[in-house]
Parts: sequence; structure tokens; C-alpha cells
Amino acid sequence: MAVTIEWYIALSTILFTLGALGVLLRRNAIIIFMSVELMLNSANLLLVAFAHHLGDATGQVLVFFVMTVAAAEVAVGLALIVAIFQSKKSIDIGDVNLLRG
Amino acid sequence: MNLFGLAPLLLILPLIGVFFNTVVGRRLVAADAPSGEKWSGWFATAMSGSAFIVAVLIFFSLPTVDYHAQTVVLWDWFNMPSTDFHVQWAMYFDTLSATMLLVVTGVGSLIHIYAIGYMHGDKDFARFFTYLNLFLFFMLILVTGNSYLMLFVGWEGVGLCSFLLIGFWYDKPNGVGILNGDAARKAFVANRVGDFAMIMAMSLTFWVFKTLEFEGVIETALHMFEEGGKAAPISFGMFTAEFQVVLSAITVLFLIGATGKSAQIPLFIWLPDAMAGPTPVSALIHAATMVTSGIYLITRSNVLFEIVRETGFQMAGIISVPDLVAVVGACTAVYAGLIAFTQFDVKKVLAYSTVSQLGFMIAAVGMGAYVAGMFHLITHAFFKALLFMGSGSIIHGMEHGHHHLHDHGHGGHGDDHHDDHHDDHHEDDFDPQDMRTMGGLWKKMPVTFGVYVIGSLALAGIFPFAGFWSKDEILAHAQVNEFAIFSFINIMLTIGAFCTAFYMTRQIKMVFFGEPRHEAAVHASESNRLMTRPLVFLAVLSVFGGFLNTPNFSEPEGYGSDYASEEKYEESGDHSETEAILAAGGSKTTFTLALEHWLEHSIQSFELTEEGVVHMPHTPIVLQYNVAVTSSIIAIGAILIAWFLVFRGYPMKPEDDDPLQAAPVIGTVWAFFQGLPLDSLYMNGWVKRVFLPLGEISNLIDWDFWHNFVHERLIRDTFVTSADFFSKVLDPLGVDGAVNGVGKSLRNFANGLRSTQTGNVGNYALGLFLGVAAVIAYFVFAA
Repeated sequence: MAVTIEWYIALSTILFTLGALGVLLRRNAIIIFMSVELMLNSANLLLVAFAHHLGDATGQVLVFFVMTVAAAEVAVGLALIVAIFQSKKSIDIGDVNLLRG
Repeated sequence: MNLFGLAPLLLILPLIGVFFNTVVGRRLVAADAPSGEKWSGWFATAMSGSAFIVAVLIFFSLPTVDYHAQTVVLWDWFNMPSTDFHVQWAMYFDTLSATMLLVVTGVGSLIHIYAIGYMHGDKDFARFFTYLNLFLFFMLILVTGNSYLMLFVGWEGVGLCSFLLIGFWYDKPNGVGILNGDAARKAFVANRVGDFAMIMAMSLTFWVFKTLEFEGVIETALHMFEEGGKAAPISFGMFTAEFQVVLSAITVLFLIGATGKSAQIPLFIWLPDAMAGPTPVSALIHAATMVTSGIYLITRSNVLFEIVRETGFQMAGIISVPDLVAVVGACTAVYAGLIAFTQFDVKKVLAYSTVSQLGFMIAAVGMGAYVAGMFHLITHAFFKALLFMGSGSIIHGMEHGHHHLHDHGHGGHGDDHHDDHHDDHHEDDFDPQDMRTMGGLWKKMPVTFGVYVIGSLALAGIFPFAGFWSKDEILAHAQVNEFAIFSFINIMLTIGAFCTAFYMTRQIKMVFFGEPRHEAAVHASESNRLMTRPLVFLAVLSVFGGFLNTPNFSEPEGYGSDYASEEKYEESGDHSETEAILAAGGSKTTFTLALEHWLEHSIQSFELTEEGVVHMPHTPIVLQYNVAVTSSIIAIGAILIAWFLVFRGYPMKPEDDDPLQAAPVIGTVWAFFQGLPLDSLYMNGWVKRVFLPLGEISNLIDWDFWHNFVHERLIRDTFVTSADFFSKVLDPLGVDGAVNGVGKSLRNFANGLRSTQTGNVGNYALGLFLGVAAVIAYFVFAA
């Protein structure tokens, strides 16, 4: 049973759905953060899979950029979470509702 | 020698005087009375005297331009092409206005000098001379104006000055209990009636003749007269009127104007009260110049009056306008003469005498004797100014005597306060103008006495004084003309002449003869030379003024009645033929009829023939010996009767009755006239019966209808109601509701949106996903 492109699409869809549900449903900021990474990497997986399938290196190059941006995002995001924790003593996003109208 | 370019100086000089005394003179007098009075008074006199010199130059310039009327245009005034209404601010010089100029400025200058002495010590010295110069300014406009409108400017101006000067001592009561301010108002109101008629007359004149200039009016009037019945009737829009009817209306309105200014029945009531003003004013304005404006007006309009006479139109079928003028004058002459009998105030006698003499002049111009009227105007200016200033001198002397007495009283009773108080009270009662307090003044005031007698003789018409010639000329006119109404006028004027001699004798006897009847008269003294010099000068004029127009003493050769009607008199400038005849036939004396020849160039005499209007030479006045003798007998008789029969009872005490009053029948008449019948008729008939009830009605209209109903109910209440509607209904519900409603609805909408802003990151993330999903769905399915 050969591993075709459909398999990769299915796996990346499952991963993205898991990440999206994690972002929407979990309340722990770090978990949400990890779910965001999951969605990013599902997108990366799909890029690599299609690059290989189409024999075009553009997708693989784009993955490097995504990983770089994701690393920077993690640095900023974790810093924010630390700052929120220092003031709120909690990383539950239910406690962070200063913008409620 | 054409000096008409100097004419504007006639107006400029008095104006300079006005400004000097308003601005500088007042301060000079306030700073240092003796020197300030000299500056103020003499400056005004210099202006008046310079105007006199200009008048003399103009007088002598007229022969050099062949007596043609000269117009000096100063500037344009009205210019309305749509109605063809053009009026220039222009001066008009012909022999008539030159004559008036000389009288006004000449007598005016003498009175200025006199006034410096008379007004000495008055706190408003400079104000007096301001008014006097202002009067001169307006009087010169009046006599030199080239149109009826210019004349009217002067006419109103002198009325204003008259008002200001009658009320000059507005804070002092007058002798007879009427306040000076009231007297001034009375004069003003009475004159307004005449002025109203003047405005009507001018409007009609413009409507008919399309111009207000004398020359144009006369020319057009003669032309229309020439056309006679062929001329189209004058249209007034809704109706038309015949030429002679309209002209009668114009002339009758001029007559009413003249009755106001020249104090004739029925409007003369203001003039006697006008004597409340300072005596120089009485002499200048209310005797010599202003009150003669009516005579000047009628003389100026002589062509209009003569046309009315020629057309024979009679108002209401009874009387023609010129005859009415003569009748009004003659009645006034007698009526005022009778009132003059009953007066005790030295100036009031002269005031009624003035009214009476103005009646003579008006009667003269009404009879067509314009030259005689002007002649009497001139001589009257001389002797009436003289008499008024003489009376001023008497009053001054009496006041002086009274002050002397008062000072003496203080010295004698210095310790006795009760007596002092009594003296003060007595001073308030003393009237220096009451002839009953005088007597025996001839010894105290010899100069005044002398000139006063001369003036009285001139006024009474005693040969050879000025009044004799002028009054005789009027009486002669009344006698020689064939019209029936002239006999009536002749009789009235003869009675008037009798009255004149009678009341003047009474006055002289009361003032100058007998024993002094008051301590003040005992101590009276002669006035200073500033006051007596002009008197002497005027006395000379009163003696010799009559020779201005001495009549021919016999009928000249070649001057038959046929000459007058046949000789054509083509151009008004070409008088050589007539003058040759006059020179040949008339007396060789240059004085003979000098004024007649002089005024001939201004006063046209004409007749309507088949060839049209023909200018005629004046019929020369021949001395009517019967008239002269009759009037002399009457005048001398009146003097003798008064002196030896009626007033032999003088001197009398102030509380005594007048001998006339004591007489059985005459006393009733005397009392009637002393009650000033026309004045009381105005008061009881007009003021109390009509004017005050009308006042009530007008008050009713003004207060109850106009104020309470219109203002309070209609205007104010409507306003308040509508304002309430706006402030209590429209504003809170409408305007506020709209503004607040917008705000409220926005707020509610925003409150609804608020609930979506939860602050929950999860919600925002969900929104983000849904949004992304929607975008993707759009691209996948729609694009």
C-alpha cells in the first residue's frame, strides 16, 4: 500500500482540526499556544507533501519561512504569557477579559 | 459798477456773526463780562453793518444793469427730472428786494447798536446776538430768495428766530401773567397755521406753473391769463378747475400765510404776546422787518393778485381775493387800533399799533397799491422801530429808577428786617412796563421824550412826518378807485387813522406828562448814549423818510387817463419814453415819487387788450388834497380830543379806572376790547370747546385704543402667546426631542453591540475562524 498524497492531506487535515479545536476549546494559554503550533505544522506538512508531489521546491522553501516566523511568534507569545502570569497569577484565558465591553 | 458778485456776503457775514458768538463770544462774556460784551455785541453789529454796506452797493448796482433783475446762483438744491422740479439756492435782486435789503440791514444795524446798550449785564448777552444775527441771515434769505421755496426757507427761519427771541427770557414771567415760553409757543403755533397755507400755496403753484421761481411763475401766469378762456382747465387728476379758480385758491392761501406772519385777523393774537421778548427784538422782528414779510410776499406775487382781480372771479360769488385782502387789512387796522386804547402796558400799545399799521399795509396791497404798501412798510419800519426802542429806553429808565429806590430803601431800613422783606415783596409787584406807574418822565428822559414825540407824530400821520405821506398814499388809493368795496375800506382806514392818533396821544400823556405816579418814575434817568444815538438817527429818518415818495402836487401835463390805457409798454427795461414823459410832466424834484419809479421795475402794471397782455406805466400818484386835509384834520382832531377832553383826568393812580372805562357807554366797548375778544374767542370757543375735547378724544384713542387695545391686547398678548407656544411646546418637544432622540437611539444601539464584546479570547478566536472559513468558502464556491 503506497503512501499517496491523499494520505498526507488527510493527516494534515486531522492535525489542523485538532489544532483548531484546541485553540477554540482549551482554556490554558500554553495549550492554546501548542494548538496554534499544531495548525502551523499541519500547514507545513501539506506544503512539503505537495512540493514533493509536484516536484517543485517552492513549497519546501516556504516551510523554512513559516518555521522562522513560528519560532519568532513563540518567543513573543511565551513572553506575553509570562507577563500575564506575573500579574494575574494564572494563565487561564477566562481571567484575561479586560477588553470586555 | 456790477457788484452782484458780493451778494453771497449778505448771507455769509451774518453767519460768521452767528458762529463767532456761539463759539467765541459766549466764552468771552463768561470770562470777562464788560470786555466780552463789547466784543460780542460789536462783532455782531459789524457783521450787520457790513451786510448793510453790501446792500447799499447792490442798491447802486441795479441802475448800472438797467434795473434788470439779477439772479446770483449759489448752488443747486432740488433737481428731480422726473417731476421737472428744479430749485436753486439762488438770490434774486430787483428793486423790490434791494429796498427790503436796505430796510432790513439798515434798521437792523441800528437796533444791533441799541441792543448792546439795552442788553448790558444780561447773562445771555452772546446768545442774544447769536439769535439776532441768525435772524438777519434768514430775513436776508427771505427777501433775496428767487423762488417761493427760498422765500419759505427764510420765512420759516425768521419764525424760528422769532420763537427763540420771544422766549429769550424763558425763565421770567411776562407782565400780564403769560409765561415767556408760552408766548413763544403761542407765536410758533399761530404761525404754523399760516405756514400750512404757505405750503399748500406753493404746492398748487408748482402744480399749475411747473416752477417755483418768481420770474417763471409770473411769465407763465401772464401767458395763461392771455389765453383767457381758451386755456385748458387745470387738471388735478380726479377733477379739473378753471385757471382763475386755482389762482384764487393760491392767492387766498398766500393771504392766509400773510395773516400768520404779518399778524392779521384772525391770526394776529400771537404778536401782542410776542412783546415778552427783549425790546430790541420787538423793534426789529415784531415791528420793522419780520412781520412785514406778508406784505413783501403779496407785493412779490402782485401779478398773481392782479390777474385774479382782472379775471373778476369772486369766491362764493361774494368777494374777489384782492378785495378780501384789503378787507382783512382794513378790519385789522380798526380792530387792533381799538384794542390799543385799552392797554396799560407801554409795549402792548405799540404791539397793537403795529398790528393796526400792518393792516394798513395789507389793505394797501389788497387795493393794488403795492408801492403805497411798500412805502408805508419802510416809513413804519423807521418810526415803529423808533417807538419800540423808545419804549425800551423808558422801561430801562424805570427799572433804573426802581433799583435806585431799592438801594435807597436798604440804606434807610438796614436794621429792620421786616421792612426789608416788605420791600422785596414790593419789588416783585412792580411792573416797569405799566404806564400807570409812569408820568412826568419828560423831565427825566428828555432825549427819549423828544424822539418819542417825533415817532408818535409820524405814526399818527401829522404833516410833514413820514407817516403822513405813506398813510395818505394808501387813503388816496382807497378814495380814487371806483370799486364799491374801496369806499368801505376808505372808511375803515380813516377810523384806523383816528385810532392811531388817539392811542398815541393817550400813551404820551400817560408816560411823559403829569406827576410821577410811582417812586420809580421819580428816580428814572435817561438811558446811555448807545441807546439814544440810534433813536436820534431813526427820528431823523422818521421826519424825512416821507420824502422818499412825495406825490406830484398837481396833475402833470400830458398825463391824461387816455395815456395810461393806450401807450404800450413793451419791454420792462425800456422805460426811457415814460421817464421822459414823467420828467417833462412831473415835478422836477428828484425826490418826487422816487420810490414809485424805483419799484416800477419790479411791480408790473398790465392790462389785457386784444393784442394780449400789455405792460403799462404806473399811474403816478397825485396828491389828493381832500384826502390829505381830511386825514390831517382827523389826526389832529384825535390828538386834541384825547389831550383836552378824554385824558385831562390823567395823572391817575394804578388802581384807578381809565377815563374811557369810567364813561357810561364807551366803558362797555372799552371793557369789550380790553377783554381781547379774539383771544378769548380762541380760548373759550376753540381751546376749551374744541381743542380740549379733541384732546380727550385723542387721549382716548391714544391711550385706550392705541395703547391698551392695540399695543397691550393685540401686539403684546399675541406676542406673549406665540412666545409661550414656542418656549413651552415647540422647543422642549420638537427641538429638544429631536436632538435628544438621536443621542438616545444611538446609545441603545451601542448598548446592544456591547454584549458582543465579551473580552473572552476564545470568542474572538472563533470569530476569526468563522471569518477565515467564510472567506475560503467565498473563494471556493463563488469564484
